[in-house]
Parts: sequence; structure tokens; C-alpha cells
Amino acid sequence: MVMRNDIELENLIEDYLNGKLTAAEAQAFEQLRANDQYIDHRVVAHKVFLESITAYAEQTALQEQLDHIHDAIDVDTLSRKLGPHPSYIVNLWKQNKSALAIAASFILLTCVSIYSIQHNTRQIGSYEMLSRKLGKIENKQDSQNKLIRNIVSNSQSGKAALNPAKYGGTGFALTTNGYLVTNNHVIDKADSIYVQDSKGASYKVKVVAQFPERDLAILKITDDSFSKLSSLPYKLKRNSAGMGEHVYTLGYPKDDAVLGEGYLSSKTGYGGDTLAYQVDIRVNPGNSGGPLLDNQGNVIGVISARENEMDGATYAIKSRYIMDALGTIAQDSLGKMVKTKKKNVLQGLTRTRQIEKIQDYVFMIKVYN
Amino acid sequence: MGYHSRINVLIVSNKLSSSVPTDREVVLGILNNSEDALNRLYTGHFPMVLQFILNNNGDEDDAKDVYQETIIILYNKIKSGDFELTSKLKTYIYSVSRRIWLKKLSQQNKKTTNNLSEFEDVIAVEVDVEQHEEKDLQFEKMKTAMLSLGEPCKTIIQDFYMHNLSMQDISEKFGYTNTDNAKTQKYKCLQRLKKLFFQN
Repeated sequence: MVMRNDIELENLIEDYLNGKLTAAEAQAFEQLRANDQYIDHRVVAHKVFLESITAYAEQTALQEQLDHIHDAIDVDTLSRKLGPHPSYIVNLWKQNKSALAIAASFILLTCVSIYSIQHNTRQIGSYEMLSRKLGKIENKQDSQNKLIRNIVSNSQSGKAALNPAKYGGTGFALTTNGYLVTNNHVIDKADSIYVQDSKGASYKVKVVAQFPERDLAILKITDDSFSKLSSLPYKLKRNSAGMGEHVYTLGYPKDDAVLGEGYLSSKTGYGGDTLAYQVDIRVNPGNSGGPLLDNQGNVIGVISARENEMDGATYAIKSRYIMDALGTIAQDSLGKMVKTKKKNVLQGLTRTRQIEKIQDYVFMIKVYN
Repeated sequence: MGYHSRINVLIVSNKLSSSVPTDREVVLGILNNSEDALNRLYTGHFPMVLQFILNNNGDEDDAKDVYQETIIILYNKIKSGDFELTSKLKTYIYSVSRRIWLKKLSQQNKKTTNNLSEFEDVIAVEVDVEQHEEKDLQFEKMKTAMLSLGEPCKTIIQDFYMHNLSMQDISEKFGYTNTDNAKTQKYKCLQRLKKLFFQN
């Protein structure tokens, strides 16, 4: 019964604060309030609360409206236009306008060398995607046998891939129940796709989602013989990584996993592409789709391509686009996901120990078409 | 009457000439809850802030966060009625975004201040940004309280206090046998939320 009275008192306070009482009621209530400190305190507290929740409601609504407007803006195109690459030259021009005017004659003399510098900054080298043609894979008896075994075990369920794999790449686990990410160009137009883990076991996968504009694809291991992975050792880094950060990748340019080490050389990718990083790391065809990790074992990107003319210039798609891609898949089917915030278990471990821990989560991708 | 029709003409002619609305249009539009005015204000000035952030150690997400905070500050200032057009809106927006971004950078211990790439004039906006930060503290407190409230309380409270549903509506929506039960539930939820909110 005490409760009932409390509810009524609260309603009365709320009606009073919202101006819903008649003049007489309000007067009576004010009298009550003046005589009872407890009630007065509750009125003040409720007023503060109502103001806060109203402000909260308004700002949430405004925030939603702004997000809605923001989604309609083509940020990628704008970024390419306004990002550091072109404006660096614009700024240089702005800051040195007068000096340049005076030194016009010198510019004439040196125009040849300036031309060659600009030439370089425009990254004229071509862009090569790193999926690997696997013409000679027949020689690799070991993995091939396992693959064939797998194909045989699958052949009763209908279509079997009888030819050896034509293309290959790398992929890595995003969930413990078999969701993987790789590059879209690795698996595009494939008839069937298998992945092989570090111990040599092959599993059939299906394509869950493709994001050609970001060159990402999400795969799911569908094979019955696949048992759940233990919890993922790495986490996805949502923020941008800093220039000069030491990074490494694990991939399958050949039949065994290969480590590539280097550093982040630019926060933008090919031709100022803000979706990607440029990393100075030596990679080969087959590295495509591999994880790019920083010193703490955070996944900061997905290796996707390299520059033909510049030795060591490799591009990696930023990790937060993986999260975006995952976000488009029904959350309940994903199971235990890779974390973005949790402290990761690789932190503080030596590189060798980190690799030991992650190699079970990095797969070779074999594409048949 | 005459005043209103003049503004209409102004809006129409401006739509034809450019996508960035005039400052007057924006202020009047926001005071009149015009979605179109907000939309064009947002779209019109975003590239400037994006450019500033991208060229000063930030990415698109940073630009979005900083810009939205700026627009919220401007919006609230206009709504509160104490906004005077002493400078161009563009300058105001640039200055507020710049201030917020510099603060964020210094919190992240990234140094940039010595060679900041500038794109516009700057005016003093420290007071506005600080006032907003205080308000934002309240907002975050309520957000945290709301998040830890749990269901069905969160939805009941939001329906009643944010979406203005009546207790009758809520009772039906949640399948309570009568409005009194719904009221009791709402009361319990409210006590929990207040406790969470005031404790922090």
C-alpha cells in the first residue's frame, strides 16, 4: 500500500511539473511541498530528471536525423577529392605563393626535376591484385591428396570439383564458428571454394556476402568435418593505425604459411584511396586476403594488392570495413565474434609466439572455376 | 505576412542558385524545425570540415563525429535563441570543429599543433564548446543509465518519456491486463533509472 501511495505521489509531482494540475490543485500541492521537505526534495530531483531525459530525447532524435543525412553523402568520393594528397600540393602553393612568384625564374630552371617529383607522387605504377594462379599445385602431393580426399567425401552430395585449384589466396577467421574474410577478387566468379588450415586439412566454404567496392568477401565453412575454433587470439582495430607502425602479415603465397614484415607507410592506399593503407611489406600473389597485424596483434587491415613499379608498396583494406561488412550479416548466425574492444591475448607476446597463436586462424583459399 | 512571403522567395531563388543555404535561411529554418534547412546546412558545410580533419591526422569517422558535434552545438545555440549572426555560419562551424578536433588530438597525445593545415578563418568559440561539453556530460550520464536499465524497462521509459505514448498505449503494447499494472511497472522502472542516473 505504501507503494500505491508512492506511485500516486510521483504522478502528482509529474503532473505538477508538467503544469497539468488545476490552479487549486497546484496551490494545494505547493502548500504540501512547503510543509514537507521530503516531498520538496523529490520535486526538485524529478525536475532535474525530467529536464535531463527531455534533453536526452531531443539530442537522440537530432543525432538520428544527422546520421540519416550523413548516410546520403558520398564521403568516399569527397575524401578522395579533399584528402591530404591533392591538398598537399594546393597548400604548398598557397603558403608559398609570393615566394614562388619571385622565384619564377628558378622554377623555370628546375621545372624538369619538379615534373619528375610530381610524376612519382601520382603513383603511376599499376596495381596488381594478389590472388595466385595455382598452375603447378599438382606437384604438391601432400596438400593435393588431402584436397582430393575432401572432394571425394563431398562428391556424393552432387557437384564435385575435379580440376586442381586455379586460384588461391589467404583468408582469416572472424568468428569461432567458421566465418572468414578474404578479398573479393580472390573468390569472385568461383565455382567452388575450399580453404586449408595450417595443418593441411581442407574444408568446403560458401560465399556469404561480397563487397566488390571494398574488395572484401565473407565466407563460411560449411564442411561437417570442421570443428569450432577456440576463441580468436586477435582483435579488430577500429581506429586508424599510425604511420610508421610496425606491421606483419601471414599468408599463403606458397603451400606453407609465409610471414611478411614491414611498416605502415601511408594512411591512404593506391592513389590516395582512403579505404586502404599503404604498407611497406614484401608480398606475393597468394597473400591477398591475409590479415595485416600490428605489434600488439591487432588486425588493422586485409592485404589486397601491390604496386608494380614500387618495390614493397602493398595495399591493405582498413579493418573497420570488415566490421561494416560483418554488420550486414544476421548477427545471431555469427556466434562468437572477433572483438573490437577487448584486450587481446597477443599483446606483449613476442612475434614468434603471436604467429604460433594466429596461424590456426589463417587459411589458404583455393578457388576452382 | 509580407515578411513571410519574402523569405519564401528567398528560399526558392537560393535553391536554384546553390545547394549551400544562406545563413539567414538556416537560422530561420532551424527555428521552424525545417528538415530541409538542416539537411542543406549539414550537406553544405561537411566538405570543409572533412577536408580540415583529413589533412590534420584524422579520418572520415573522426570527421563525422566532430562535424555532428559541431552541428549539434550550432543547432542548440540557435534553438536556445541566443544565437546572433555576428560572423558567417561557415566561420563559426569551422572554428567549433577545429576547436573540438584540437582537443581530441591533444587527448590522444598526437601532436599537430605546430603545423596545422588551415582552410578558413577562425573565431573564438571556447565558451560554446565548453558549455556543450557540460551538457554532453548529462547526456552521457542518461545514456549510460538507459543502457544499464535493461528490458522491458528501457522500452517502457522511452515510450513514455521520449515517444510520448500514454500509459494506456503502453499497457496494450506490453500486454498488461490493466493500466494500473502498467503504471506500477513504469514506476518501478522509473525508480531504477533515477537511481542509476543520480548515482553516477
